[in-house]
Amino acid sequence: MAGDKKTMPEKADKKKFSRRDFVVGGGTALAGGALAAVSPGAAQAAIKQDSYPLATHYLVYDSKHCAGCYRCMTACSLVHEGEINFSLARLQMHRAVLDEYPFDISINVCRQCPTPLCVENCPTGAAHISAENGNIRMIDKDKCIGCKTCIKSCPFIPYRPIWNHYTNKATKCDLCVDTPYYNKKGGPGGSQACVEACVANALKVVTELPDQTDISGYDRDLQPPRKAMPKMPFGAPKGKSKAAPAAKES
Amino acid sequence: MATPGFAGKILLVDLTKKEIIPLDTDEYAMYGGGHGTSTALFWEYCVARENWDLQDAFDPRNMVSLMTGAIVGTGVPHGARTSVSGMSPQCYPVQWFCHSNFGGTFGTMLKLAGWDGVAVIGKADKPVYINIADDKVTLEDAQNLWGLTTWKCQEEIWKRSGIRYGQEWVNLDGSYTMQRPAIVTMGPAGENMTRVAALVHGGGSGAGQGGFGGVFGSKNLKAVAVMGSSSLKIADPKGLQNALEWMEKTWGGGGGGFGFGGGQDVQSCCAGCGTARKCHNRTRAHGQDSDDCAESTLFSQTPSNGQIPSDANARGMDLCQEYGINGMECCFQGPMSFKTDHNPDFPIQPEVPAYTALGWYMKKMYDMGVIGPGTSYDMAPLNMKQFNTNEFMEIYALALSKRHGIGDMLAEGTARFCEKLGRTEDFKTLCRLTMWGYQDHWSMPGVEWAYGNLMDSRDINSHDITHSPGGGFGGGGAAPDAEKFVRTMAQRTAPFNDPFWFDYSWEGKQAYDTGIFSRHKAQFTAWHQHYWNYYKESVGFCDWGYSNLYSGSHPQNFGKTPEVEPRLLNAVTGKNHTFEDGIEIGRRAWNLKRAIFVLQGRHRKMENFTGYYYRPGASYCGYSPNLPIFDGSKWEIKNSKELYFTEDGVEHWKTHFYDIEGWNQDSGYPTRKTLEDLGMKHVADYLESKGKLGAA
Ligand code: SF4
Ligand code: SF4
Ligand code: SF4
Repeated sequence: MAGDKKTMPEKADKKKFSRRDFVVGGGTALAGGALAAVSPGAAQAAIKQDSYPLATHYLVYDSKHCAGCYRCMTACSLVHEGEINFSLARLQMHRAVLDEYPFDISINVCRQCPTPLCVENCPTGAAHISAENGNIRMIDKDKCIGCKTCIKSCPFIPYRPIWNHYTNKATKCDLCVDTPYYNKKGGPGGSQACVEACVANALKVVTELPDQTDISGYDRDLQPPRKAMPKMPFGAPKGKSKAAPAAKES
Repeated sequence: MATPGFAGKILLVDLTKKEIIPLDTDEYAMYGGGHGTSTALFWEYCVARENWDLQDAFDPRNMVSLMTGAIVGTGVPHGARTSVSGMSPQCYPVQWFCHSNFGGTFGTMLKLAGWDGVAVIGKADKPVYINIADDKVTLEDAQNLWGLTTWKCQEEIWKRSGIRYGQEWVNLDGSYTMQRPAIVTMGPAGENMTRVAALVHGGGSGAGQGGFGGVFGSKNLKAVAVMGSSSLKIADPKGLQNALEWMEKTWGGGGGGFGFGGGQDVQSCCAGCGTARKCHNRTRAHGQDSDDCAESTLFSQTPSNGQIPSDANARGMDLCQEYGINGMECCFQGPMSFKTDHNPDFPIQPEVPAYTALGWYMKKMYDMGVIGPGTSYDMAPLNMKQFNTNEFMEIYALALSKRHGIGDMLAEGTARFCEKLGRTEDFKTLCRLTMWGYQDHWSMPGVEWAYGNLMDSRDINSHDITHSPGGGFGGGGAAPDAEKFVRTMAQRTAPFNDPFWFDYSWEGKQAYDTGIFSRHKAQFTAWHQHYWNYYKESVGFCDWGYSNLYSGSHPQNFGKTPEVEPRLLNAVTGKNHTFEDGIEIGRRAWNLKRAIFVLQGRHRKMENFTGYYYRPGASYCGYSPNLPIFDGSKWEIKNSKELYFTEDGVEHWKTHFYDIEGWNQDSGYPTRKTLEDLGMKHVADYLESKGKLGAA
């Protein structure tokens, strides 16, 4: 079984997982707001707080309304790579199909951290802040030497940079800046493939820095106000859709 | 290099020889993928190479295959079905070559692991499961999984790995995935080789009809688990995005069809599905009833009179998923009953449930004193005093799936249960079994569904035509103008574009000229089967979304068919196929299947409807009674509840149908010309060697 193999990264979080993500420092799970106070793994250098310009755009999500359809991941990989590969999708939705709501779905996106340890620790400057692209934290594939430092530095579980096993380089969410296969203009101020692909209004790009205290800054209720779904013994609520059958069928 | 949209390899596993053989997908391209490719593999490995009678689905020589098509894995809504094919233990009286399919993420994961499908022959000497992690395929010991429910089995496989899925990246030989293996498994009902056993994936994505869980059981195959980190090539990524945007703009979120829109607090079943039909959930997870996909293990025992508490109903559904029981076959009653007025001799007047499934029939037999106290059939372990309770449901599921007590008879399915009771007469009255032992469904008054059942090997479960106008022909407020409606439908059924396909005249000369016994209807049925064999069961499009001939979302009421299918497919594969090219591939797969049927014993003489279809109103399913009728000069939408077949009319229709298909009129066997025109000379030669080639 695949799982007999060792997993990556080596850091581990023992806490129960529940549509939440955690930041790890010194083996302890801490909320994201404590980030500046810890130096995870290789990141021993002093952290230059406030030395990075904030990103102008952030991807936020609504894990409680996500339908688990994988369209975001499909789209992300398609517009960047021209092919579909969940392992290359720069956001990772995970569906635990037999777990109960709200423990069934988690979404992991790059937070475009105010203090991006991926950028901080990259030895070549491949991971950088792109001034021309809204200060998005990006990885320049030409400079990346595949050392995985950014991966090991990202303090979130699971880590947010992506390992591209075809190029042996790291990559990460660039808010769709570098998307040769996208039918639109991506990047901050442009479109994002995952947001457009979402069937459930569960992804959105915002321009204010989300609250960094914990996960709630990113994992938000993104739904427009709406009536609760009536509990139906069978099938669709009548009148919900023109195409809904008049009676239960199967 | 593989055709874009396909992974390029099919995994053939011989459990007897413990061999794992990769096949080249493109070698089967002319069959279209999915069920078409599975049919070709069945022909190659089970028919042409083995000299046997093709009668026992539990014979190790049977092949069960899980096969995807070009659209699976692309994120296209209504496009993630995995087709299941093989000889079916449920079909009656002959265990025909048959099919089912299921949704979820299995097919997507399989393709992202680099495989278009898995075909399994032989029998393992001890329980195993097939484990796929990209290119690495192993047969794993499943002795500790034997006896587990489908949910427990999946959890156990996940647990065994020691990985905390969702919290860490999993290393697959240098590539990494955040996903957990997608698993399809049988439950105890399959292990005990019942004829009503489903394959279940996730919470409730199931392939129920056909009884393929039992085929897994006969092979000592508990499950197939897959995870992948490979890339699926798409020929024209921008073209695919443009096509999806156009489709969603024109036909609405999720791409139209008759599911309802997304945005609910629930999971989609299928990767890419925009309908969020709650398919995937365990019923209790949301305090709502599970509403499984069209092919899943639907289990319903709530009659319209609301007699049975929905709690037991919900429990029943969960139990079907857990034990891997085909809920459609085993449930207690369809959700609706209907009354017929002109049918006084019908034995269960006035109320006939839409599905007279096994549970319902068993209760009926008990109430009638045919089984139970004072008879030679002991009800144990069922306690009928507990009927309608959770406890009863638990014991019913357990007895059925483990063949305990009366469960042993029930495990044979409704048709064989009737037979054991010496009551096969009930097929045509009380239990309304369509041909080949399946429950009636929505087959009438949508006669193309009924004809499809007759010519295929199961209840075809093809809602598309019946539901096209949204809530039924002329129902649901759609299509007030009959002529406009049939002309719209005709425009969407290329290349024939014949409005008389939609004439449901069933009486007098008109029935023969343009109505249900006419050549028009025979052509429509053929088209529908060809469409189905390619676009649905082979490409991977879901019955809930396709075909779609008529749509309330479109300004001219055009459905997605026939524009959407080729546009999406061509963007994925880079081919320049027309809609009609797909119909032709479907026709090829359908004729190959016909050849298998013929070798199994199919003959024109067998292709007759069960008796109730010939009684006015008796085959009405309680749905969509309003149909377009042409009276020789004008169209009208009329209530067609009473619609029925006549034996002469059906014979007339069959003559047209065989002629259109290129099958011999007397036998129904395909002719050499038909097969050779489709590029299947080898099939003609083989049929000839067996004396089963249709005379020209
Ligand atoms: S990759 Fe990790 S550290 Fe870098 S910006 Fe994203 S979340 Fe922050
Ligand atoms: S914003 Fe673009 S790069 Fe980032 S996860 Fe979404 S699709 Fe991928
Ligand atoms: S596209 Fe939206 S609903 Fe689908 S998995 Fe992604 S976030 Fe969830």
